[in-house]
Formats: sequence, C-alpha cells, structure tokens
Amino acid sequence: MEDRAKRVMASVFGVDVARIGADASAQTVEQWDSLRHMNLVVALEEEFRVRFTDQQIDELLSLRLIVLTLKELGAKE
Amino acid sequence: MSEISYGELLRRNRELEATLEGKRLKIALLSNVVVAQLKEILEYSLRSCGVNAQVELGDYDNVVQDSARFAGHDVVALFWEPCNFIDGLHYRAALMGADELAALRERLFGELDLTLGNLRLTPLVLFNRFSTLLFNCHELRDTALDRLCRDLNHRLEERAGANLLAVDVDRVIAQVSVAGSVEWRSFHSVRAPYRVEFLRAYAEHVSPALLSLAGRARKALIFDCDNTLWEGVLGEDGEEGIAMSAQTRQGRPFAEVQGIAKALGRDGVVLGLCSKNNPQDVDRVLTTHGDMTLRDEDLVVKRVNWADKVTNLQDIADTLNIGLDSLVFVDDSNFEIGLVRERLPEVVTLHVPATRYDYPALMRRLRVLFFTLSRSSEDAAKTRMYREEAQRQQAASSFASIEDYLRSLGLSLTLHVNDAGLVPRMAQLTQKTNQFNLTTRRYTEADVQRFLAGGAHLVLAFRVADRFGDYGITGLAIVEHAPGAQRARIDTLLMSCRVLGRNVERALFDRLVADLTARGARVLEAEYVRTTKNAQVEDLFDRFGLRVTEASDERKRYQLNLAGYAPAGIDYIEVMESDGRQG
Repeated sequence: MEDRAKRVMASVFGVDVARIGADASAQTVEQWDSLRHMNLVVALEEEFRVRFTDQQIDELLSLRLIVLTLKELGAKE
Repeated sequence: MSEISYGELLRRNRELEATLEGKRLKIALLSNVVVAQLKEILEYSLRSCGVNAQVELGDYDNVVQDSARFAGHDVVALFWEPCNFIDGLHYRAALMGADELAALRERLFGELDLTLGNLRLTPLVLFNRFSTLLFNCHELRDTALDRLCRDLNHRLEERAGANLLAVDVDRVIAQVSVAGSVEWRSFHSVRAPYRVEFLRAYAEHVSPALLSLAGRARKALIFDCDNTLWEGVLGEDGEEGIAMSAQTRQGRPFAEVQGIAKALGRDGVVLGLCSKNNPQDVDRVLTTHGDMTLRDEDLVVKRVNWADKVTNLQDIADTLNIGLDSLVFVDDSNFEIGLVRERLPEVVTLHVPATRYDYPALMRRLRVLFFTLSRSSEDAAKTRMYREEAQRQQAASSFASIEDYLRSLGLSLTLHVNDAGLVPRMAQLTQKTNQFNLTTRRYTEADVQRFLAGGAHLVLAFRVADRFGDYGITGLAIVEHAPGAQRARIDTLLMSCRVLGRNVERALFDRLVADLTARGARVLEAEYVRTTKNAQVEDLFDRFGLRVTEASDERKRYQLNLAGYAPAGIDYIEVMESDGRQG
C-alpha cells in the first residue's frame, strides 16, 4: 500500500518516486501546495477506491498519515 | 479522452509538456470558483491530440479584471458561476427582495459588458452559459436564480461577438449526471463545485473548438458502401435487395446516417467513398436509386475498386492534398477497420455497429470532429473545389504491403472435404454468391448430393476464422476428378465477400493443387465465365499462373500442368482439415 501511495504522490507532485521517502510530508515535499493537495486527494481516492471525510482531507499531510487513513478506511493492499 | 486514472493523467501530461513542440496554444481559465484541476485535464486532452496547449489560471473570483489581463491569449475560457456571483447566491436569491435582485442584475450586466468588451479581440472565447442545474434540477418552477440567469444569458447572446462560443454546460452535466458532476465536499470547503469526472467531460466537449482553432479539425468523411451506406451487399443482393429507405426498419438507420453526412457535406466536409465494389454498380445506385439521400454530386472522391483500403485511403488523402489525420473512415468490417487502425493510426475510424439502430447516434457523436469555428459561405463552395481538384488528379495507385497486418490476424482456413452435413449451406452458397464466383453455376441441394455420392468430384467447403471471429463456411470449390484420373476440372470456385482481401483463395488453391496431385491428377482445367457481377475475379487464374487456352468475351479457359505449379507458400494462414488434422 505504501508503494502505491508513493507512486500516486510522485505522479501528483511530478517528482521521481525515489524522492518520496517514508517520512515524506507537506513540510518536506516542496511541490505539496494546496492545489496539488486537492489533486492528491482525487488521485488517492481513485487509486484506492475510498472516500475521505473533509476532516481526513485536512489531516492527510504526510505519507504515514495517508497510509494510516487508507487502512482505517479498509483500502485493499 | 481515454479513461486513464487521474494520477496517470497528471503524469502523462507532464511528459507531453516536456516533449511537445510546435506553436503554443495559450489558454487562460478565468473563474469565480475553483476549477484549477481543469488546467491539467484540458492540457492533457489537447496535448494528446498533438496540440501544444498551455493553460494559465486567473485569480480566484477576479473575472472582470482578468479578462483585461488575459485578452491577448489565444483562448479565454470562463467559469462564471451564479452560486458565487455573491457568496451563497444559490440559496440567498430566494431571500432577496425584487429591488435587491434588480440591483444585482444591473451590476452583473455591467460586469458582463465590460468583460465581453475586454475580450472582443481574443481569437476564441469559451463562455459557459449561466446555469443553475446543480442546484435546481428538482424544481418544478423557475426560481429567482433561474430568472436572473435567463436574463444574463439573453444579454450574453445579444452582446457576444463572433469570436465567442456560448458553451451549454448543462449538456456536459447531462452526460455525467448531476450527482456525478458536483462535489459538495469541496464546494463547501474551497468553493470547488465540480468533480474531476465533470471536468474531463467538459474538456472533451469543448476540445473540437480548440482543435479547430489549432487547425486540427477533421476534413473528410469516407464511407464504405455495403452495410455502411445501405443494409446489404450490392453485388450479392442487387439494387432491389439493399435497404436505405426511411420507410423501412432496415433502411431507416442508413437513411439517417446518409442525411447526417449530406448535411456535413453542405457545411464543407469532404465526403467520399472507399469501397470494394464494381464502380458501375455503385454509380448506378448513386444516380438512379430512389432511396438514396447521398447523391453522386455530394461525393468528392470515390475509390470504388478491388485494391486494399489502406492504399485507397492514402490515395484519397494525396488527391485531396490533406493529411491522413484529416480523415474519418466508416466501415462495417472488422477486417477493414482493423487494417486501417493498424496501418494508418492517424485516421479516425467508425465501425458500423451490428446493432444498426445505434449507428446514427454514433455518427452524431463523431460529427463533432468536423466542428469548425468559422462557418462561411466558402464551406459549401469547398466541396466543389475539392471535387474539381480530385477530378484533375488521376493519382497512380500503388500497392501497400499488407502482409504484416494479415500476419497479425491469426488467420485459419478449415477444409471440409465431401462433408454431407454441409449440403444445405453449400447449395445456398452457389445460389447466393455473385462477386467472387468464377463460373456462377447454381446448384440445388440434390445437385450437391449427387456430386458427393457420385465419387467423381472433390467437394471442398471451407471455413475462415481470424482473431476477430469465425466467419463460418464462406467458400466452396467443386472439382471434377475421379481418383487416379490424370485430368481434373474446376467446376465451381466461389467465396463470400466477407472474407475477401486476406489471400485465403491463394492458400486454398495451393492446397487444392497439392491434394489433386496426391490423388494422381496431372493436369488441371479451369474456366472463368463472365457475369455482370464477377469482374473482380476475371484475372484470378491468370494471377495464379494458369495458362489461357481459349478466350472470348463470355469466358476464358485455362490449363495448368500441376507439376509446374509454383505455390505462393503463404505462411500466415493455418490450413486445417475439419477433423483438426493440420495440413
């Protein structure tokens, strides 16, 4: 799941997937602005077939939180 | 647009940005809500068509000032949403008094006039008509918001210049559904009302206008004839047997397609034919058949012959002096469509559906490819111009090698030797086959039974299949030959036109020669008997290397010394016998 999430993030932010480390977050990835955050939400929802609440969207600010939230929502590996 | 995931779209769009060259198409996207995701979606939809588009976003809710700032772009697209004329207008309008609403309307009229004035010299303005559909789709009566939008749309229509295209977003929403278009979650958090699904449909909806501006609109619509302009096969069913009358169930879809095509022709689209048929037969239908909507004078180019369609389409493009990427080709055959898609991927193809009632709707959907921004009187004259040009040129036909394509088809030929179970079908083939039929001898089931029982004939029915499917028993050879005899004679050789163009006849003939040799034959006799419909096979035996022994207007007789036969050795058709034994 983490690898798939990384690939989605790489597509959305336009960076090499190797640049998305385990502790990637809105602080460490400079391309992670509010506009791309919207894109990230749509791309993650499509990829993992889930729907985030608006509360969750505000909190999806790192790879760890993304993976945690996806698991909470029962997304498939 | 192909249905790739949104993440994939973002990735590919970035790749295309890095690789595309050529003139930039600069598009500004102005809005009073957030539609930022349309930037990449619209870019991708155009870049994947080879247009080097660049979308720039205006500031949030700053349409009037931005219209001055971006007026120099090639295109300005506007999302000016009533729900945000003032914050929450979609529900506040119902609470406002008449005076308040009138004042708002006057203010908006002023802003609209200013905006349109600023954009009057921009080459293309895509202005979404004001819509309330996301909020009011369940209402029985028009609301205050509806009335306001109606007034604004009226004003827009009055003041719009020729460079403005008023986009009816309701049509886009209708394609996606209201629930599938709106995203309340982001509407309430960041004033982004539209889902990506809507934005993708919007990009697809407006792209014909942008492609037209970039000079990428399609220019020519080329039809096959049989089962494409009419139901049925002219060479088999005859003029009376084909259907394109608006008065019959079979004919109606074809009458409608012809009508759509004719209207396109009047708008300047070049219409043409690319069909394997006898040209005189098709010309007679075009000039005299009472059910035809399309007439000879509507058609600019005609390639009605027995050459392959790749060669003919290339020839058509050369004759009209347009690119292959300007062509749209319509045909009912999987084989022909597959061939064109593989060899000429620039050509857009439409495969006539087996469910004929769906055909006109598909044609209407395709029609947008010909959308042009300018609708001048020159368009109608263009047909005549192209036509004259086409008549001047008598392009030499060249033969493309289609072997690679045939190789990819996985063709197989299954032989049924003296198979009594196929008597009805074999008799039917002799009765119905006209075009690929060397002698056109009609036999009843009893006749065929006699051939099988008499022991002096080799009766060979064959089945053709490829990766598109099984065409069934589509050919027949009846050869007079008593086992051990030196002389053999081809009585009948025929094939359904559904399997033409695959070199099946040659593979069959190779096999026939081998089988007859094994049965002790030394000399094979054959003949071609001319009818009004079988001109396409008049030189078949000449091409196979048989020697002409006698020739007149009505018939040609041939002889072949079997030992001297040079097989074509076609390796891409698997020949089998019906018990599965490979040969």
